[in-house]
Parts: sequence; structure tokens; C-alpha cells
Amino acid sequence: MMLIHVNKYDTPECETLAETAKKSIRTPDSLGLDRCIQCGACTASCPAARFTDYSPRQLVKRVLENDRSVLEDESIWSCFYCYSCNLRCPRNNSPVTIVQVLRQMAINEGIGLERLAYFVEIGEYLAENGASKIPGPGVRNMERDLGESWIEFKRDLESIRAELGLKPRDIRDTGSEVRAILEGTGFFEREKWIRAGGRGNVSALSHSASPETVNRETASHETPQCGV
Amino acid sequence: MKPIENVPDRKLLLFKSCMVSQEYPGIESATGYAFDRLGVDYFVNEEQSCCTGIGHYTDLFEGLTTAAIAARNFAVARRCGYPNITCLCSTCYAVNKEACELLNTNAEVREKVNSIFREQGMDDLVYEKGDMDPRSNFYHAVEVLLSKVDLIRENKQLDFSGVKAAAHHACHYYKVKYQDVVGNPENPQLIDDIAAACGADMVRWYEDRTLTCGMGFSQLHLNRNTSLQVTKAKLDSLKNAGVELMLHMCPNCHIQYDRYQPVIEKEFGVEYDTVHMNIGQFVALALGADPYEVCGFQTHSVPLEGFLERIGAL
Ligand code: SF4
Ligand code: SF4
Repeated sequence: MMLIHVNKYDTPECETLAETAKKSIRTPDSLGLDRCIQCGACTASCPAARFTDYSPRQLVKRVLENDRSVLEDESIWSCFYCYSCNLRCPRNNSPVTIVQVLRQMAINEGIGLERLAYFVEIGEYLAENGASKIPGPGVRNMERDLGESWIEFKRDLESIRAELGLKPRDIRDTGSEVRAILEGTGFFEREKWIRAGGRGNVSALSHSASPETVNRETASHETPQCGV
Repeated sequence: MKPIENVPDRKLLLFKSCMVSQEYPGIESATGYAFDRLGVDYFVNEEQSCCTGIGHYTDLFEGLTTAAIAARNFAVARRCGYPNITCLCSTCYAVNKEACELLNTNAEVREKVNSIFREQGMDDLVYEKGDMDPRSNFYHAVEVLLSKVDLIRENKQLDFSGVKAAAHHACHYYKVKYQDVVGNPENPQLIDDIAAACGADMVRWYEDRTLTCGMGFSQLHLNRNTSLQVTKAKLDSLKNAGVELMLHMCPNCHIQYDRYQPVIEKEFGVEYDTVHMNIGQFVALALGADPYEVCGFQTHSVPLEGFLERIGAL
């Protein structure tokens, strides 16, 4: 089973990776993918390339060669979405938006869902409150990183907002419109797919997302201390 | 290039940002304070939802959901008569601008979004081609502040002379829609020009000036070591340049620099003397705002007290 039905605008079904990338709504119409001269300006500007083995120039090459194994390559998850490559490419190519398409294609095949599980509660929170938040596992990791002063600040957020003359909570008056939109676009089907780990393989959720996340929260378990 | 003369000061919808609201609410109150004193006509609308940026760039939301949420916010902005969406967060800015372009140029997506609105009985949200203009309806608050730089210079109550400062312009402001930036996207100087008008001694170029903050959406959470290495590279370079005040324009960068500077100090065994502030907080302070009741510095992780005392703000 594939999730393509919810995601057909990001990942239109085409003969080649390059065609899908060009037709995707994630990439600009003017995408200069075929004009890439493999100059490496993208990789030279890339923060991920500076500190890891990741290379946007290589990824673009593999897309042009229609090498579908790129979807299973861990490195597609290293991009910061900083758009430095987008700014610097002399051929109007945009590795950053191509990587977004590759990740969506991987997701359709059930790859990387454990990463999405970390963020998945943002969807329901947006439907309910009209706003986004740092997801639960992120809050708990930040509590560990930032300690008591941050936890205290989060507990005091309401009174600080009042002191600043702002409305009590960052919850917006969106009626039920945002929920209706998420229903209409099929987001909740996607959410179920992510929570089930794709292909009904729920156990995928218990794997840690990457070696770096050992000892760190990877999905929702306990309630954060700061109550957010 | 976006000419600064074209930045409006009327009918601005000050677009609420979830990360501002939850982490640094003082950015919103301080920007409002500055706008009030600079004669900017703006409105905050509680019906506006979040842009979806956090979910969009962690790959959780697909593009159709992001476009539909944006179309709803465009209807909210038009309905209240404040169609110039003005963002505090660079990602809200890029997401909205891109969604507008998509809705104007891709009839299939526009029709799909409108059919969802109609099916759900929300006909008043329907988006017609050209309802919003990606070039003239979307701004970042820093552009509005820069358009008022002369007024800021004339009305400043606090002088930042002798303060060595540097700017970090947010990636999603100048690297996404890079042809539509005030100034040169290879060397944006909006924050520098505003701060210099308040007397600050700006380090206008430093090594890695255009390096991203390191947050990288999922990167801070899932590839934390790499994320902090990127942030550290920038903080090191500011230290080498002797910068004591770093000014930014996006709550995500702000989290990365302000919240994580002490974490980096501890984990990498380094020390930094740099303090952090959003440019809206800086302008409000210059115009006489209270550091706590308006600028909300009590929500920061790197304490500003020593700095504020030295410049006479406390
Ligand atoms: S900068 Fe552009 S042209 Fe050069 S390798 Fe990267 S994608 Fe290709
Ligand atoms: S957007 Fe991704 S590929 Fe492009 S420079 Fe930034 S980290 Fe590298």
C-alpha cells in the first residue's frame, strides 16, 4: 500500500524522479534541474555538507540518473531547508526543494515515518487550536537541554503574556475551519499512516530515529513537566 | 529587488507566529509598540491560524494542506481590510508568499483548495486568482521598520553608541524568494541599517554571516549534534569579531542562538559574551520601551541585565 493518494501534488506519479521533482508543487515552475552543471556551488554553501557526508550536488546527480535508491539514503534527512543552495545555484536549480520531494516520495513508501512520528501531534494541535507547537518529544528534549529556568518560564507563560498586554493563550479563534481543511485535504489519513508506521508496521515507531537520538525522546510517551 | 519605498505602512495584518507567541512573546509586543510610535496602521486578527511552517518543513504536512491553510488566512486578511500580511517569523513570510504564488499560478491546486472549501460549507474562503499578490501583499516586520528608519533615528530615546553589534538575517527571508528582498540577497543589510541609525557600531560582515542558524526544523530535534555544530560555528565567528549584541528577525533563529548558547557553552566547553535580541525588541528599546513590560526580556535564556545596565536601559 502506498500513501500517494493524499500526496499527489507533492509527488505526482511520473516515469522518472526528475519528472516528479519538476511537476511537484514543492518545487518552483522555473526549476533548472536539467540545467545543473554539477558545479558544486550548492554543496559549497551547504551547512549539512560541512558537518556530514551529505552532498546536494550528488543528490541532484542521482535524481538526474533516476537512481531510486536515493529514497532510501539516510542523507536525504540531513538537509536543514536553509535554502542556501536555492540562493546560490547559478542554474536556477533548487536542491532544497528537490530534497523535499524526495522525502515525500520516501514517506509514500513508508520510509522515515519514525521521524515524522516525533512531530505528528502538531496536526491535531493545529486542528484544535489554530496554532502549532513544539511537539511533546521536542518539549521533553528541550526540558533536558535547557533545564529548570526554561521549564519555569513555560509555566509562567500566561502571566508574562498578560504583563506584555497580549491575549492569554496562543489559541486562535479559527472556529472549526482549520479542522475542516485538514479533513478535506486528507491530512488525517496521512496522520493515521504515520502513527501506524506505514504498511501497518506499528513496530517501526519504536526504532530510534538516528544514532544521535539515543537517550533522547523519539515519540510521545510522558507528559512534559512544563505542562505544554 | 524589493524597493523600500514600496513597503506600505497601512493595512498591515501583523501575522501572529506560534514560536513568537510560545517562546518570545516580547517580539510581538515590542513590534506593536514600535509600530504604534512610528505611525504604522496594523491589526492583529485572532481568526488567523498558524502558517503550518513547522509542520510543513518537518515534512509532516503536504503542500496541499499548507496551501489551503494559507488561502484561509488570505481570506481572513482580506475580510478584515488588512490584506498586507506582515510577519514576525521568516518562515511564515516564505510559506505565505510561496502559497500565494502557487494559488495564483496553479489552477489545479486552486480548484482543489476551493472545492474543499465548498464541500465543507466555507464558500467565503474561496480564493480567486490574483486575490493576493505575492510581491505586494507580503512583508516581514523588519522591512516596515527599515522603511521608518529616519523616524526611528529622530525619535530614539536610547543611544547604542559604542555597542558592537552584528546581524543574522533569517534564511527564509532572503534565500527562498531571493529576487524579492530589500537590498542584495548575498549581503542583506536591513537589520544593520536600522541598528546603525540607533548608534550601534555594526560589524557588517563577519565570517559565516550567511550561514543558517542551525535549527533546520527537524535537525535540532533529530540530528542535534550537527544542528549545534552549525550554531557554534556562527557563535565562534561572532566571538572572533568581538560582537556583544546579536540581532535577529525570526523566533526560530532566536531559539537556536539564545536558548542554545548556554547549552553549547556547556557541551563544547566554550564561553560566549554575546547577548541576543530581535530587531523589533531593539527598536522598541531604542524608542523608550520597558525592557520587561514591553520587550519581554524575562523570557530569554541568555541574561541581558548586564548589557541593559551598561547602555542605561535599566
Ligand atoms: S549549484 Fe546548481 S548547478 Fe551547481 S551543482 Fe548545485 S544544483 Fe547543480
Ligand atoms: S537547503 Fe539543504 S541542501 Fe540546501 S544548502 Fe541548506 S542544508 Fe544544504
